[in-house]
Amino acid sequence: MKQLTKSIMFAAALTVSAGAAMPVMADNAQTLDQLLQQVKKDRISEKKVNKKREAEFLSDRSKMQSRLNKSESDLAASVQRGEDLKAAFSANEQTIVDKETELENAKGTLGEMFGVVRQASGEAVGRISTSVVSAQYPNRTQLLEKLSEAKKLPSLVELEDLWFALQTEMTESGKVVRFKTDVTKLDGNVVSEEIIRIGSFGLIGEEGFLRYDAENEQVQPLGRQPDSHMVSSTKSFLDVQSGLAPLYIDPSRGQILGLLTQKATLTERYHEGGVVGYIITAVLFIGLLIALERIIVLTLMGGKIRAQLKNLSNPSDKNPLGRILKVGQENKDADVETLELKLDEAVLRELPKIERGVSLIKIFAAIAPLLGLLGTVTGMIGTFQSITLFGTGDPKIMAGSISMALVTTAQGLIAALPLILAHSLAAGRAKTILSTLDERSAGIVAAHAEQEKA
Amino acid sequence: MLYLMDLWETVRDFVATGGDVLFVVAGALLLMWILMIERYWYLSWVFPTERKAIIAKWDARTDTTSWTAHRIRDYWIAEANDNLSARMIIIRTLVAMCPLIGLLGTVTGMIAVFEIMAVQGTGNPRLMASGISMATIPTMAGMVAALSGVFFSSRLEAKVKMAKASLVDSLPHH
Repeated sequence: MKQLTKSIMFAAALTVSAGAAMPVMADNAQTLDQLLQQVKKDRISEKKVNKKREAEFLSDRSKMQSRLNKSESDLAASVQRGEDLKAAFSANEQTIVDKETELENAKGTLGEMFGVVRQASGEAVGRISTSVVSAQYPNRTQLLEKLSEAKKLPSLVELEDLWFALQTEMTESGKVVRFKTDVTKLDGNVVSEEIIRIGSFGLIGEEGFLRYDAENEQVQPLGRQPDSHMVSSTKSFLDVQSGLAPLYIDPSRGQILGLLTQKATLTERYHEGGVVGYIITAVLFIGLLIALERIIVLTLMGGKIRAQLKNLSNPSDKNPLGRILKVGQENKDADVETLELKLDEAVLRELPKIERGVSLIKIFAAIAPLLGLLGTVTGMIGTFQSITLFGTGDPKIMAGSISMALVTTAQGLIAALPLILAHSLAAGRAKTILSTLDERSAGIVAAHAEQEKA
Repeated sequence: MLYLMDLWETVRDFVATGGDVLFVVAGALLLMWILMIERYWYLSWVFPTERKAIIAKWDARTDTTSWTAHRIRDYWIAEANDNLSARMIIIRTLVAMCPLIGLLGTVTGMIAVFEIMAVQGTGNPRLMASGISMATIPTMAGMVAALSGVFFSSRLEAKVKMAKASLVDSLPHH
């Protein structure tokens, strides 16, 4: 048991020494005593080393202390510098405020003037760039644009230029001037042409009214001229060399003329009616032709009948009354009832020639508004189709077919009105002739017979 | 004079807001009234003397019962009737045409409204209002014209009928 304990302890000691200082001692220490000796010896040398390390550390510590001291003094210096700068900054700020007030005081009312200049030149840019005076004096807007956007005070020269620009516009707007310039025609050709500027209201040239396109700085004829009596006034105005002459001008400086170009002409309006519109026109023309033929024929017939009435003894074959009178003459010896029957028969024979066509005009007059109604309905169908496709959001899409609907209605009415009037004229003529033949012919025959008897 | 100028201005304003169709209405109205006044004049001044002449001629006849006498009487009545009812068809037509012309104005005014809508959209009711006044004023004018004609033309027709009946009664035959 003892043996075992000994050996275990030995082994443990071995292991411990093997783990710690075995490599050094393992070589020298052969026995435990030796080991002891060596440890003692080593302790002395260790002490020396420790001493040395301690000395080194102490010297290091003092070095560090001096570095710390230096850093602390640096920090203090920086803090001081920051304080100084802050003070300088606030002092400068104060100076800026002082200087600004000084500047404001020095500027005085000049600041207000700057605002006025900017405002005036801003307004003038809008007016002068679109003014027709610019057609005669181009490139006037650059300076004004610069002035209206400038951030600094304008110079004296610039101020004078603004003054000149405003006064030029003012003076020129009071003049009627003739000058030569390039006119861009509607087909794109540029032609040099003499035109007249009427104040700042408008330009007129060979084609009538011209417009000034401010964006492209071009003079162009209007895409669509206003009514011909207005355009002809410009033509006569161009020929006038001195004195006064009447002329139509656009007081809105071109805006009304511009709107006029969007207005549909009568022919465009007419074609909006579409197929129904053309049918209505055909109905109107056929109806009017029939009515014209009827009115002429009936008027001539009425004249002949009146001539025959004055000359009862010589009935002619060329008019209805004459033919009836002839029947009366041929049967004047027959008895009263036969004579009356013969006369009635003769009148009946004349009726178709007089009444022909009159009722046709009436039918045409009745058809025309119905066709217009048809056009209305088809137009409304178009409107609702476009509503189905595009919704009601854009009135412009619907407006097209609505105008078709309305145009055909108007065309129907326009066709119906003259046809109704023509029918009543023709019917009046026919009625007079019919009553002459129907109700009076027997009386005429009777009166003639009485005269012959007497 | 100033009053007349004022009146003329009012008329011009009315025509300007109503559009050109008002001229057609005015033309129809003028023609209608000229014809009606002519008829009234004929009925009250010309026809009585003609009537007297016919009655005198009839009374002067010895023979009022034979076939020829009856035919001659019918002839005279028909002639007088033709004179009485001359141009009545035109008057009646013009009366009937007036509302139609007004309707034409309505339609052209609506065309103007939709044209403005097509160009400017529905944003500006003021612009559309001009077209609407062009639509409604001729309608009203046409109605007023027709109404003024309806009353007097039907009175005229009744007068013509009565004049003819009284002429027939004044020519006794057996």
